[in-house]
Amino acid sequence: MPQLFVTTRKGEERSVEFEPGSTAMQAIYDANFADILALCGGVCSCATCHIYVDPRFVEALPKMSADENDLLEGSSHRNERSRLSCQFRLSPELDGLRVTIAPED
Amino acid sequence: MTDQATAERDYFSDPSVLKDPYDYFEEMFSKGPVHQLQSRDIVMVTGYDEALEVLRNTQDFSSAICVVGAAYPLPFEPRGDDVSEQIKAHRHEIPGSDLLVTYDQPQHPASRSLLNRLFAPSRLKAMEGYMSGLADKLLQDAVARGGCELVKEIAVPYVTYVVADLLGVPAADRDLFRAALDQSAPPGNMNDSEKPTEFSALEYMAGFFVRYVHERRAAPGNDVLSEFATAKYPDGSTPDAMELVRLSTFLFGAGQDTTAKLLGNSMRYIIDTPGLQQQLRTNRALIPAFIEEVLRLEGSSKVTFRVARKKTRVLDTEIPAGKRVVVALAAANRDPRRWEEPKAFKLDRPKIREHLAFGRGAHTCIGAPLARAEVRIMLDRLLEHTSDIGFSEAYHGKPGNRRLDYEPSFIIRGLAQLHLELKAA
Repeated sequence: MPQLFVTTRKGEERSVEFEPGSTAMQAIYDANFADILALCGGVCSCATCHIYVDPRFVEALPKMSADENDLLEGSSHRNERSRLSCQFRLSPELDGLRVTIAPED
Repeated sequence: MTDQATAERDYFSDPSVLKDPYDYFEEMFSKGPVHQLQSRDIVMVTGYDEALEVLRNTQDFSSAICVVGAAYPLPFEPRGDDVSEQIKAHRHEIPGSDLLVTYDQPQHPASRSLLNRLFAPSRLKAMEGYMSGLADKLLQDAVARGGCELVKEIAVPYVTYVVADLLGVPAADRDLFRAALDQSAPPGNMNDSEKPTEFSALEYMAGFFVRYVHERRAAPGNDVLSEFATAKYPDGSTPDAMELVRLSTFLFGAGQDTTAKLLGNSMRYIIDTPGLQQQLRTNRALIPAFIEEVLRLEGSSKVTFRVARKKTRVLDTEIPAGKRVVVALAAANRDPRRWEEPKAFKLDRPKIREHLAFGRGAHTCIGAPLARAEVRIMLDRLLEHTSDIGFSEAYHGKPGNRRLDYEPSFIIRGLAQLHLELKAA
């Protein structure tokens, strides 16, 4: 199975196998990373699944919607690599994706 | 121990538990955050961390019994340490098996994804004008009369029309939906052990959605129903038309009682918490924080249910395969290890949004953002149109000695009726 690499807020990295088609949030959440709260369950309404994406992959991800952009605007930790992990699905092409869980707002 | 000498009250049928479930949950919590009930073959989880663990663990826990709980026996005799196959084989025999809340992987995330777009923030924002206008219409009449029965006269029509608007149901059909829902009892009915959860209103509405989906698929337009009817699963495949019908009718059932009751519970806090009504009138920007604290203290879903798919653990406690688990959301939201002074009403709790009133994990209430918006707008309009809101003492008695009837449900927490006196602004 393809995998992604997740770095926690403490700086520890762990690999996670993913099922293509699931969102990045689902893959990270199901792998029991306590840093990802995902309070809204994936409907783009809480921004508690905020991650930073490895710059090499930023372009490969589906474009950000206006809703996702607006929500990220509310975070004091936003940068050019920010995404909400519930807002894109993992494809086999994203095998090896590296993400870091953003600090809590 | 004296505790063991006293028979435990039955969560599912005892009227004193219905009246004050929090007192009962506290009693169960004192026996342990994960506790095997004496009267039923079911484990009750009342701790916050423990509840979170069960909700997160979709590998070991199935939602198949989510709406019937312990009211029905499992349709099979659990065998061995993994009953996944048995659940799969008998799933359709469990009432409510066509409701999204009872789905498991892989169907659950696939079906849920079809609904996600409906709840996008921009969409909900766009609905606010409709919600506000609808609230005004319902309230102006009530204020002119000097009062109303909040649950049936205001809350139920309000939430029904809002979900109809969410899905783009044609205006002419909306009244028919409301009439059907008006006549049905909430899920988890304690008064009818033969039929604890009734689905007839949803079946009636399903008939309309069969037509909508087929019509929109044949000739898609630009409306919400067309977008919904032509939505695809994440893997690009097309859902069966009946799956869309099930999902849309489910939204009405799921959103109605819970939101209407949350509104009623909110009103009770506004009226009976000293100084609160004035505080909210002076600063309506506090309404969202207020709603979160009501959700924590008295959210409208007391519990949800899971069944162990495999032999597993919840922190320190072993759970055998096939064991049914009642996850007491309302108890977790008052776990003293997680919440300081858990019974106190406070508007400024840190991390308040981490309460479990909407669940957590894969099955987190998908309509939570809508419910929050609906209640916020209705409360805002109520305060706008009135200078004072009080209980009708003829129905509910005086402060300190209130007569309040709760909906006889082991799932839903909320007032069956709430008679208000409304003083015009």
